[in-house]
Amino acid sequence: MSDTRILDKGTPPERFARGWHCLGLADSFGDGKPHRIEAFGGQLVVWQDTQGGLNVLDGYCRHMGGDLTQGTVKGDEIACPFHDWRWGGDGKCKAIPYARRVPLRARTQKYPTAIRNGQLLIWHDVEGSAADHDLLPPELPGVGTDEYTDWTWEVVPITDSHCRELIDNVVDMAHFYYVHFSFPTSFRNVFEGHQATQFMESKGRPDMTGGYGDAELFLKSEATYYGPSYMINWLDVDYKGFETEVILINCHIPTGPDSFTLQYGITVKKPEGIDDKTAAYISKKYAEMFGGGFLQDVHIWKNKVPVQNPLLCEEDGPVYQLRRWYEQFYVDRADVQPEMVDRFEFEVDTTKANEYWQEEVAQNLARKAADEKAADEAPTSTESDTPSVMTGT
Amino acid sequence: MASFVPTSADTLEDQRLYTSARLTDVACLDCLARVGVKKNSDHHTSIQWSREAREACPELSRRDGRGRDHHQGCPRLSASIESAVREGKVDIGAEDGY
Ligand code: FES
Ligand SMILES: [Fe+2]
Repeated sequence: MSDTRILDKGTPPERFARGWHCLGLADSFGDGKPHRIEAFGGQLVVWQDTQGGLNVLDGYCRHMGGDLTQGTVKGDEIACPFHDWRWGGDGKCKAIPYARRVPLRARTQKYPTAIRNGQLLIWHDVEGSAADHDLLPPELPGVGTDEYTDWTWEVVPITDSHCRELIDNVVDMAHFYYVHFSFPTSFRNVFEGHQATQFMESKGRPDMTGGYGDAELFLKSEATYYGPSYMINWLDVDYKGFETEVILINCHIPTGPDSFTLQYGITVKKPEGIDDKTAAYISKKYAEMFGGGFLQDVHIWKNKVPVQNPLLCEEDGPVYQLRRWYEQFYVDRADVQPEMVDRFEFEVDTTKANEYWQEEVAQNLARKAADEKAADEAPTSTESDTPSVMTGT
Repeated sequence: MASFVPTSADTLEDQRLYTSARLTDVACLDCLARVGVKKNSDHHTSIQWSREAREACPELSRRDGRGRDHHQGCPRLSASIESAVREGKVDIGAEDGY
């Protein structure tokens, strides 16, 4: 009885992570209208001022709680739909057209902003610290120029899961085989400071094909979280000897204690001798593939329980160390412990897993061939569209 | 203030086992870094650095940590670990998954 392993579900954190969070492509906020972003248990209002700068404030007016995302941009300010109070990007109320003067205390929550790689990021910290620009993700050389395709950008709201489930995937070698039908041959993690990296080499599972899934598909992937929510994933794809360089951004905004908005973007380095239209098409195809991959994860998350005490085998990645790293964003700055940020490296031994998976794939292929032979008289085409490229998460 | 709070005391023991049990001290043969090493098998390696060790490593200090090479370890330290393994100073094998 006492030998039975108990799942410790623990209690989720009461706060949202400290760090830079990406709200989406900067261009999408530049139409002169207020935009609503669900975040940190509430909502934010985003708008562009006359200088072209993007501003982010708490979405509710400090006067009587009006919804600023339903307001109007007037000059540089966002005007509340309830009584027309005008709020500036610095968080101060600039004018109350029907009043003699503006109360000195008319200040609301503003979020410091930064633009990186064509995306709008904001700094969030429950302690109210100044934005730390040293922690921003790096600029990607060449991205945003003619060398790369425009970002293909997708937004997916996720409910019933804490965003730590998404983070856990950084170390989860085996799920790539079982959930995403790709075949990791090499897998490594490094955590240090505010960065957590996954390095993976993988190939497509030929027994689960469709689209790009193929024994002739090879991937080299380097994926780094810069802070709690923004991952850059560099991908070298080799498909039948045709090499493509893909960059995937995987980021999220927590919206509640067990919900978040996933966003991901794809850009492809335009291969030589390929016209822009084809390059854009390739980019869109990859986006669809990763989109399908995320949905495979989401299905798992929705149906699993949170676990504080995962039971690991020797072939698993360093879940506990990853969570120790992730914890730094959920404690006060003064409480960040050395072990949360000290460098840690982990090389997963994929030997045994690869032996077993080779065999399983071979068996599946043999069974498939036999089935197809048997069904030859009544052919039914069942083209699978299962994505078999997935990395990072 | 902790964030993800375990509800069982056993979980704290699990955290200790997976993160800090069975680490062997290995010194780099080329610099002053000393790290904690665990090898569950020939191909598995776990390396726990401290701030002091990290500052002592000239190889890692050369990198700015913002590019694609972030996952690569220090080749001198790897060589030092391999030599410690050859000399039998680092046990190879796991204990019930940790
Ligand atoms: S509630 Fe916004 S102006 Fe009154
Ligand atoms: Fe996944």
